[in-house]
Amino acid sequence: MNKIQPKYFRILAIAPSTVGFGFAVLEGQDTLVDWGVKKVKGDKNVESLSKAEKLIAHYQPGVLVLEDASAKNSRRSARIRKLYQRIIKMAVNRKINVKLFSRDQVMKAFIADGRGTKHALAEIIAKRFPEELNFQLPPKRKPWMSEDSRMNIFDAVALALLPRLW
Amino acid sequence: MGSSASIHMAQLPNYLLSNRKRLTLSQDEVAFLLGTQSGAKVCRYERFAREPSLEMALAFEVIFQRSASELFDGLYKKVEQEVAARAKELAARTDRQKPNRRTARKREILTNIANNVFNQ
Repeated sequence: MNKIQPKYFRILAIAPSTVGFGFAVLEGQDTLVDWGVKKVKGDKNVESLSKAEKLIAHYQPGVLVLEDASAKNSRRSARIRKLYQRIIKMAVNRKINVKLFSRDQVMKAFIADGRGTKHALAEIIAKRFPEELNFQLPPKRKPWMSEDSRMNIFDAVALALLPRLW
Repeated sequence: MGSSASIHMAQLPNYLLSNRKRLTLSQDEVAFLLGTQSGAKVCRYERFAREPSLEMALAFEVIFQRSASELFDGLYKKVEQEVAARAKELAARTDRQKPNRRTARKREILTNIANNVFNQ
């Protein structure tokens, strides 16, 4: 029996945040190989870049997926925009395909009308990978609570799924 | 199981990390289940820096409830292709032998080994 290999066999997605970045490695059609949060201290961009580089060296992905910080409605900070540029440059140097998706594209891919909260998206992703991610889903945050860093895992997994969906 | 110098192009040598994370076990906890002293050994397996012994591979199968060929997919595929290539060569050698029922049966088995892999 001939097995059809997807165009991008292994996909790495990175979702930066104020504390570091969430990441997800997806393989084949729907296999989550690795996921988690890398926390950084000191020079956050230098640290983040170094940790992203290690992930790339370990998993040798065919494609790297990031949020499109230049999209119309993107509200990423100047530091994170710079980090995106440096990660893209590093990936291009290593001859890795880079795919960028706007936040709107991510939401539209998973939520029918494209409108929903970050938590709603995380719940959808957790249902898709119950064994791996259900226990990682933090409780819905109250307005006075800061965001749980684990939320970035779900953003990264959503991004990693997009090249297969678009 | 030898060194992990060559890695299969598509699959990772092993999927121990994802399976450990799936079960929410720490490296130290897996090490305890394996009967080793610390999680450092598990870390080396997960980073593909070292390949486990057959006994360890079977212990991983018991812990993660997945077959060893699934857990060590990349390594399995590499070994599978090497065996298939040798089976093809041995089948060709068998062809040069005097034909009888025994060589015909041998030829059939070797062709099956080679084809099972190359047709995947």
